[in-house]
Amino acid sequence: MTNLKIFLWEWKHFLRSPFKIIALILFMIASVYGLHKGADLYQKQKSEIEQIDNQAQKERQKIIDDHYRTGIFRPKDQPRINYSNPYWAISRSYTYHFKNPSPAIVYSIGQCEQYGFYKQITVRASPYDSDLAEEIANPERLQTGTLDFSFAILFLLPLVLLVLVYNLKSMETEQGFIPLVEVQIPSKNTWLFLRMSFYILVSLIIIIALLLYGASLTNVFAQASNSFGQILLYSTLYLTFWSVIYFLILRNGKSILGNTLRMSAVYLLVAFIIPATVHQYVSIRQPANLMTDFIDVRDERQALYDKPDHFLQDQLLLLFPELLNSSVYHNNENLAAVRSRSAAALVNELNKTSIQTIEDEYQTKNKLIRSTFWFNPVSCFQNRFNTISKTHFDDYQNYRKDIQTLIDKQIKIMVLDLWNEVNVDESKYKKYYEYVSIK
Amino acid sequence: MWQIIKNEWYSLTRNRTLLTVSIGFVGLLIATIYLGHLQTQKNTQQYIEAKNHLRTQWESIRAMNPHGAAHYGTYVFKPANVLSSLDEGVNSITGKVLRVEGHVQNEIMYSEASQSQTISKFGKLKGALLLQYIIPLLLIFLAFQSINREKQSGRLKLLLLQGITITQLTFAKTLAVCSYGIGLLLVTISAYTILNLDNITTNIIARAGLFFLSYSLYYFILTALTVYLSARWVSTNLALTSMLGVWIFWTIFLPNMLMSSVESLHELPSREALKAAMKEDRAKGLDGHNPADERSKELEKQILEEYQVDSLSQLPINFDGIVMQEDEEIGNQVWDKHFGNLRNVFEDQKQSYQLGGIVNPFISLQNASMGLAGSDNLHHQEFLVQVENYRRVFIKELNDQHAFGGSKTGDWGWKADNDFFKSVSDFNYQPIQLSTVIGNYSIDLILLLGWGVVVSFLLISGTKKMRIQ
Repeated sequence: MTNLKIFLWEWKHFLRSPFKIIALILFMIASVYGLHKGADLYQKQKSEIEQIDNQAQKERQKIIDDHYRTGIFRPKDQPRINYSNPYWAISRSYTYHFKNPSPAIVYSIGQCEQYGFYKQITVRASPYDSDLAEEIANPERLQTGTLDFSFAILFLLPLVLLVLVYNLKSMETEQGFIPLVEVQIPSKNTWLFLRMSFYILVSLIIIIALLLYGASLTNVFAQASNSFGQILLYSTLYLTFWSVIYFLILRNGKSILGNTLRMSAVYLLVAFIIPATVHQYVSIRQPANLMTDFIDVRDERQALYDKPDHFLQDQLLLLFPELLNSSVYHNNENLAAVRSRSAAALVNELNKTSIQTIEDEYQTKNKLIRSTFWFNPVSCFQNRFNTISKTHFDDYQNYRKDIQTLIDKQIKIMVLDLWNEVNVDESKYKKYYEYVSIK
Repeated sequence: MWQIIKNEWYSLTRNRTLLTVSIGFVGLLIATIYLGHLQTQKNTQQYIEAKNHLRTQWESIRAMNPHGAAHYGTYVFKPANVLSSLDEGVNSITGKVLRVEGHVQNEIMYSEASQSQTISKFGKLKGALLLQYIIPLLLIFLAFQSINREKQSGRLKLLLLQGITITQLTFAKTLAVCSYGIGLLLVTISAYTILNLDNITTNIIARAGLFFLSYSLYYFILTALTVYLSARWVSTNLALTSMLGVWIFWTIFLPNMLMSSVESLHELPSREALKAAMKEDRAKGLDGHNPADERSKELEKQILEEYQVDSLSQLPINFDGIVMQEDEEIGNQVWDKHFGNLRNVFEDQKQSYQLGGIVNPFISLQNASMGLAGSDNLHHQEFLVQVENYRRVFIKELNDQHAFGGSKTGDWGWKADNDFFKSVSDFNYQPIQLSTVIGNYSIDLILLLGWGVVVSFLLISGTKKMRIQ
């Protein structure tokens, strides 16, 4: 029997196994469902961002029309506001920073439901503010996990493969056909390998078809073409990983029951027990941070405001040496008010110091998790998928970093303009929100 | 029948592979409970430290304007739950820190899941993970050839000749295998009890008892179904693969799909939509910082009449404090409306999901397990409600002090002393009464019982038609 014939004969075996066909169909249904879940989330996030952006534009336009174009800088009902002052103009600039979803989110929702994806930038903001909380979702649903495409690949694919190959070789052994088979084939290992290859190929073709279908839902090729290839690569690697394990079990096993038991045990160990044990270990070694360092900034801020004026001024000059050449520095008239409004810059520095401690802790925790990847392949692949779809923890940390950069930028503009007594007009107001963005 | 159960046990204990697996399992379960206990202890210690830290900060306020103190606020941390070492439920998904301050009902922040990359899709190594996913699979492996093996070896005929009925036989086989799972369940509960002897209360005993009952019922359902298929299917492989299919469908496929569908059925608003709606409702009310507000004027008139004076400066109290509290009352109505709606949607989602137990007993088990361990969304929402109730009392105390503590209207420089701040009580979480939990989860327990009855009926009626060669 030629190798090609062995391979093709498996097609007949497959067609005569309704259970295997049903398993594959179920896998495809789950995957398509998962792809649509990802695509829905992509559309939802995009439309939410669009809505917030439009709303912000409307608010800004209203201010331009009502105040900058009319020259009435103080609203009648709120006379303390003065739009010609940089402090008020910036605080009403409705500047947002968004984490735009990647089209590749269709393949892996990852951690995107645990974080916010829009944040208003203000001089008093921080990347750990409550308005950066995740979207409202049922925590029990989050705990159960969303059935996305990566879930189908990581948890359902090994089970489907198990169903497809569980009786290879062992059925012939149990029925006593093995000696008959042996005389027709070059070697038992090649025979088993070729039979398994058939199912691997079938699985791979289905994965490619599903990936292409997913790509059509969010226009992956136009906007994130690399992610298609990367997801395909990691899906293939993952399929190969399980194929090797199952091949070794089938090669050494003799009974269907024994092989099924071993394959199931390995599946449970790799997909459930190892990740769960690592999770438990990590949470004992590095429990969740209750953010007391961040909360303590509240007291430090209070203490800062109690400090003498010259202390605040010295600190501000250290941060912005340019202030030495400013008009307010040389003309003491508005100094107290300007200094008090500039204090946000010092609070921002306090925030940044406390955030650094927290983020260092996060990094240690993530380093610990990464160090387990060599024996925790499911988590490793899951995080690879999340990275490709830009829904990984690191992507949200980068988003936070961008937010901090924008806050710093906004504070600097405000402080310098306040100290230089800039009079805000329409074009200056527009610059406030155009400049505070990451291009 | 008792004799058959005993024989089954003997044969199980004679199986060296099973004995090794059982010893391994018992070890794993004990280790799991111990690790869960260790984590709970660590979390509790961390919670106490954080709580004390914040309380010390509050009590250290030497002198502060009460309204300033309302903005300074405080933080409440979600306490660790003793039973969460059995089932962690939503605890790692939900936030742990909640800011309590004036003018606003904040949302809980900083979940454990948001502090690291993904580790495990099915949570930590808790008792529930092994009891829900792994032990059922073990029971399937133990039961799938129980009747078929007797048929193929010819022992079935012998047994029937000795006077036992096929129904008695299938029930005996079911109970024997099921008792193996119950044994492992007992090990789990015992290990948990020993490790938590100091914290055991009647509430915990009752919850653990119901926890035990729901898992026992699920094990019975799964084992009975496997034994039934073993009796009905000609091939043992078919019985095994069918049950593996059932396991995949019940535990991995359906819960995920149903929960997602339920969320689409009862849609939650987006955060931005919720914020906008609350802002709009709030704007219609009284702005505590804006004395020009019409409603503020009405209130002013009312207070002036009450104190029989002509102007705010003649008032013996601080009108600003009254305005602040009035603003809070209006705000509270807004929060009640919108957060109340959110809770209603969560409730609708939960009830619809619970109905999934009609087609999938695993859903009922998962619900009951989380609920009885006090780690479900119901307990989480209750925690949020209690914090909000505390916030209202907390802010009222500050506003009352502002209004009646001795200052006059417009005197924003006035400060309450340290004794006052020390007198403001701290937040203390009161666990939900068991009766409430039972009320919410009775449907799951009933569905599990219903499934038990259905599979028993299957065993009785289905096996009667069995062909004995």
